[in-house]
Amino acid sequence: MITSSILLAITTFAYLLCALLYLSGVIFHRRTIMFWGSVTGAATLAIQMAGIILRWWESYQIGYGHAPLSNLYESLVFAAWAIMLIYLVMEYRTKQRALGVFPSLFAFLAMAYASFSTGVNSKIQPLLPALKSNWLIAHVVTCFIGYAAFAVSFGISILYIARQSRQEPSGGALSLLPDLRQLDELNYQMVLFGFLWLSLGIITGSVWADLAWGTYWSWDPKETWSLITWLIYAALLHARAVKGWRGNRVAWLSIIGFCCVLFTYFGVNFLLGGLHSYANMK
Amino acid sequence: MQKKGLWQGIYQKLASPKLTVVIFLVLAAASVVGTLMPQGLSEAEIQRHYGQRAIWFITTFGLNDLYHTGWFRLLLLILSANLVVCTIERLPKTLKVFRRREEQVDPEKLAKCSLNCQFTSNLPRDETEARLISIIAEDFGTVQRIDGADHLAGIAEKGRWSPLMVYVVHLSVLLVLCGALVGSIFGFKGFMNILEGEAVSEVTLEGSDRGLNLPFQVRCDKFDVSYYDNGMPREFRSDLTLIRDGKEVLKRELRVNDPLTYDGVTFYQSSYGAILKDAEVELTDRKSGAVRRLIVLFREWVDIPGTRDRAQILRFDEDFRQLGPAMVMLISRDGKEPAGSWILIDRDFHGNKVGNYKVRVLRASRIPYTGLQVKQDPGVWLVWLGFAAMLVGIGLTYYVSHRKLWVWAEADTPGKGGTKIIIAGRTNRNEISFEKKFNRLCDRLQAELGQEGGGSKP
Repeated sequence: MITSSILLAITTFAYLLCALLYLSGVIFHRRTIMFWGSVTGAATLAIQMAGIILRWWESYQIGYGHAPLSNLYESLVFAAWAIMLIYLVMEYRTKQRALGVFPSLFAFLAMAYASFSTGVNSKIQPLLPALKSNWLIAHVVTCFIGYAAFAVSFGISILYIARQSRQEPSGGALSLLPDLRQLDELNYQMVLFGFLWLSLGIITGSVWADLAWGTYWSWDPKETWSLITWLIYAALLHARAVKGWRGNRVAWLSIIGFCCVLFTYFGVNFLLGGLHSYANMK
Repeated sequence: MQKKGLWQGIYQKLASPKLTVVIFLVLAAASVVGTLMPQGLSEAEIQRHYGQRAIWFITTFGLNDLYHTGWFRLLLLILSANLVVCTIERLPKTLKVFRRREEQVDPEKLAKCSLNCQFTSNLPRDETEARLISIIAEDFGTVQRIDGADHLAGIAEKGRWSPLMVYVVHLSVLLVLCGALVGSIFGFKGFMNILEGEAVSEVTLEGSDRGLNLPFQVRCDKFDVSYYDNGMPREFRSDLTLIRDGKEVLKRELRVNDPLTYDGVTFYQSSYGAILKDAEVELTDRKSGAVRRLIVLFREWVDIPGTRDRAQILRFDEDFRQLGPAMVMLISRDGKEPAGSWILIDRDFHGNKVGNYKVRVLRASRIPYTGLQVKQDPGVWLVWLGFAAMLVGIGLTYYVSHRKLWVWAEADTPGKGGTKIIIAGRTNRNEISFEKKFNRLCDRLQAELGQEGGGSKP
């Protein structure tokens, strides 16, 4: 009997394979290997999607009946899925396979953390009264698409800085990467895309908070950190648009922004608590 | 004169885009401080956690209620002023560009564009023109013709209004801030705890001791919690009845995530609990050994029969230091200062004594209450409007860029019936994909119309 846990376990290892394929493609300078990385990535995405849908169905079988977006485990799985989805769409549109190293690595790390950490409970749990709302799906999905876009942008930023600091002759490990101008442009588009979805995520959260808690903004740590993240990326977009920042500085701001994303996601749960503390419920 | 200089200086500072970035980063940093420092601590708690010295610093800068301090609001005000001034400075220019229609195309300028291509068509002019226009229209939109007497000139553009979207986003931020301001001035936020069976009209306002009387009463007919098999709460539900001028005007169940709005006031299921109505206790006089049973009321003195002593229940805790339910009982002897102590309700504990009485609780009757969050916010629709505008603005900024393509064609000078063509393009965003599209167009035109004639293709 195929269960969602089996599919998601396969997903974890398949993303590792995918990351290794991309990585060896870049290192050994073989486009064929990277092509197989893409194929593995796409296939894994499909398996993972089946796993998520199956988990949704299973929760109805148990009698709890809710979308698999309710706790840390489920959000990590969704984050991995969203990162790979966004990356693969970008890859399809730009035909740049060498960028796949980081997204597939992040997807693997998210899945590995979800599956192997003792702090993350993978059991299907019932929903607390505060989470029983259709806004749950809208809020979590939009936030994590934003986070995922920022993760992809983070990967691009690292590659930008690596590529820029090492002027290597053609044929080196990084030479399969797009040129600097293209990396910068892709980075910008990814940040703008993430910014749109993060805004949507904050707004859906805000509308939901007004419905559930009676206030659309309460300076809860998670809310505040998502705003901090939003402000950092807003600063990035303004610096680029009005002050003409390009390349390195934008890449560094994007890296700082992604650190804020990580803190919003993990740091707040583990260190600060607050109204969103069901996210680390075990 | 000097005053004018000062205001001009401030205005110029506010008009700088650098300020925007700085304000964003300062707001972010301040918010970080606000999340690291627990908010809403009292001075006593600050002293306990951070020591005597920190108190001055923390209270002076309001770090324990950072988001409501004057300086944080000042930051938001500066951000708003910056937004407004930048808009005043830039919008007229953007509008001018938006409205301006080019009246002629200068081939020399086109040739200087970073994105341009030039070639010569072998086909006659009429045919060249027709095909040129139709091919361009496929990918870049209809070509607006501004031909001269001896040449073809035209412009095709898409997303002309896209540079205006930034202003929509800026307006949306102002709308959200205005909505928050309106809400904080004209609205209120508070809570009310209603005992089962009781009707209440007073709301305790958040962050103050003041109360506010609603023009109607809220009665809690029943409060109920249901649980999942694993013990997690499944649902909190209050059955409410609203009473106005003695008449029941509305009956509804209130659940989490499903608020109730009546007369502009919204109620949310937010907490619950129970108070002690009364308790039947057995008091043993430790000196005489006399045992007396009586019913003690919550916060009301009751005489202990056969003595000149009196008793009351002062406080109740559903789970006192994880020892289960407990109450504070006061006993006053001969009308003297009362003595009090925590009495565990469910356990026969040796510490269950007050004064010279040993206390055993035989029965404790509770009344559950429902905790409602109550709110009136006349500014919320401005916030929603701002949110909608923000999404539209950011969304269209992302999806639509202003792309412009110029085309110019004239009969080739040597006069062999060929046509010289120059095409140039520009975009305000997504340069690389535009470049690709532009190069594809040029390749196709050259393939279909004629031979290459130079130009630059990055």
